[in-house]
Amino acid sequence: MKNWKALSAVVLSAAMVLAPVTALAEEGPYRVCFVARASADTFAAWLTSEMQKAAEEYDDIELTCVSGEADDAEMAKQLENCITKQYDYVIVQSNNNAAQAPYVKAIADAGIPVVTTNPTTHQADLDGETGDPEVDNAVMEGTGTVDADPVAQAAVGAQRAVEEVPENANVVVFRGPSGNYHAEKRREAWDTYFFDVRDDVTILYEDYANWNNDEAMALMETWVQGGTHIDAIISMNDNMAAGAIEAVRNNTDYIAEDGTPSFLAYGVDGTAQGCLLIKEGLLTATALQDAGEIAALNMSYAEKVLHGEMDYTEVNDYVDAPEINADNVDEFIQIYVANGEISESDL
Amino acid sequence: MKSSKASTYLQRFSIYIVLIAMFVACSLLSPYFLSANNLMNVARQLCVGILLAYAEMILIVSGFLDLSIGSVLALAGVLSVSTFKSTHSMLLALVVAFAVGVACNMINAVFVAQFDVPAFIATLGMQQVARGIALYYTGGANILQLGKYVKLGQGMVGKVPVPVIIVLCITVVVWYLFNHTRYGRNLYAIGGNRKAAEASGIDTRKNIFISYAIVGVLAGLAGAIFMARNNSGIPNGAVGYEMTGLTAAIVGGTSFSGGVGTVMGTVAGAFIIGFLENIMNLIGVNSYIQSIIEGAIIVLAVAFDIRSKNRKTTKQIMAVKDEKK
Repeated sequence: MKNWKALSAVVLSAAMVLAPVTALAEEGPYRVCFVARASADTFAAWLTSEMQKAAEEYDDIELTCVSGEADDAEMAKQLENCITKQYDYVIVQSNNNAAQAPYVKAIADAGIPVVTTNPTTHQADLDGETGDPEVDNAVMEGTGTVDADPVAQAAVGAQRAVEEVPENANVVVFRGPSGNYHAEKRREAWDTYFFDVRDDVTILYEDYANWNNDEAMALMETWVQGGTHIDAIISMNDNMAAGAIEAVRNNTDYIAEDGTPSFLAYGVDGTAQGCLLIKEGLLTATALQDAGEIAALNMSYAEKVLHGEMDYTEVNDYVDAPEINADNVDEFIQIYVANGEISESDL
Repeated sequence: MKSSKASTYLQRFSIYIVLIAMFVACSLLSPYFLSANNLMNVARQLCVGILLAYAEMILIVSGFLDLSIGSVLALAGVLSVSTFKSTHSMLLALVVAFAVGVACNMINAVFVAQFDVPAFIATLGMQQVARGIALYYTGGANILQLGKYVKLGQGMVGKVPVPVIIVLCITVVVWYLFNHTRYGRNLYAIGGNRKAAEASGIDTRKNIFISYAIVGVLAGLAGAIFMARNNSGIPNGAVGYEMTGLTAAIVGGTSFSGGVGTVMGTVAGAFIIGFLENIMNLIGVNSYIQSIIEGAIIVLAVAFDIRSKNRKTTKQIMAVKDEKK
């Protein structure tokens, strides 16, 4: 028994002494971790896949992708693991900005470069809102960001709608999850760029479909029973717009026999499904949130930071939100043909 | 005597009384509720939920349950859609949906029947495994452009939606199984007292396997209809649908302690929830408030159902005691 104890003590001591030495001896590639908000989320899955592709471009970056599964407790666990595993660089896609802010700060406090992406974590997420937009909209101290601007994205459809939506129109609004930064900001943009300008428009119904196709479909099926014709579908993402359109696909009050719709529909994200609906003439316009571009920028900044070319707190970049409509949809469809989401036979 | 008859009816038909009361209330609250289109919509929206409710009812009556059914639905659905896209064969796509549903549920049955793992745990594990496979297979992306596959969820025969016809046929089959076969009687016996059922010669393991196989077929069919309705193979779809099925079965009078439950009660339970959701959307109730009202009404409906049955049981016991005196 004594021999066992002595042997265990020797082995443990040796391990404690040798572990740091071994770590120092291993001068392998930089270890980067991407914490995605969920694996069961179409955009997060696309972003994860693009991060992996982008990382392959850099020989000295070894990317690990983990997922918070849209659960704040799981996100916290994954972010704490990043400190335990001492990654060289961490990229965080928050599920809930306020819930993850303290954990993002803990990573920064541990001396690990941390960049938040789609959405950005703001100082207000950590301290609460002060009412001063400059303070509240500032990127959280000690972190960097690569993001898409949700206001700019939603403004694309909203500004177009000002011209296109008929006078005294009745519209319905599909919202993303309550409290989600991008969902709230996109909705705010519709107020600023459309509803404040077009006070003749009536919102017949508005509800949370939580980014989901099937929830939007069930809502729309019921709303069209209300008797008043819906002139426009305003959706905070393409997935919900697709569900709402599917609900009226066989309704001749909304889509004529020849496939001509008697409504307008606006989305955001520019997903493969959104592009195909534009091609079909059922979705009027959307704005691209290009996961490939977000991923490429993230990896490019990671490379620069890890090589000491810049400080990670200087990383502050936003991708463009190009409009996709019937005139230019073919060029965007090619993105999805290239990544395999759309096959030639689908077209 | 008359009051005894009245309470017998109340006990037997309490859930239908709740359903009728809700139907009348909804008709008064919105002029659009009674339109043929709206009622057909409710029926169409409930199809997937009713199939899942039958599945849960079959298991709950015999003392088990299935928490994996939402994930198995998604896995069976995306694989079915994928098969259709590569072969254009509806028959093969449906066979794949059924096969995937049955395969997942046979694994559930092995753990529950052979290894005595609680159904809660075994199916919770399968919930994660099936969802993981669906996401891994699709890379988290939706499968688009389903072509003629959508007819399964969006097609019409005359003025009746295809999924409604499918669910009507399934209802007849499940009703027959429960009311006219030895298997149905065995389920009630197993759920009422498993040891007594075994002592009376019922092969409980065999019945568990049969039940999970039927649940697999229902999950596969629900998966195919779900994807067709949405015109997409959605690997992250139907999250939490196990609760939709469980709620409809429980509201419909199926007892969580086993041995009690009827097919028509389950249909009534599903329609109570369906009418409730429909009317709240029609009159534009805020979704947060909807959640509060839905939870409260479900509990009240079940409490009314249980209380009416308890009253009858108490009266019967007292009547027996009086007769003995």
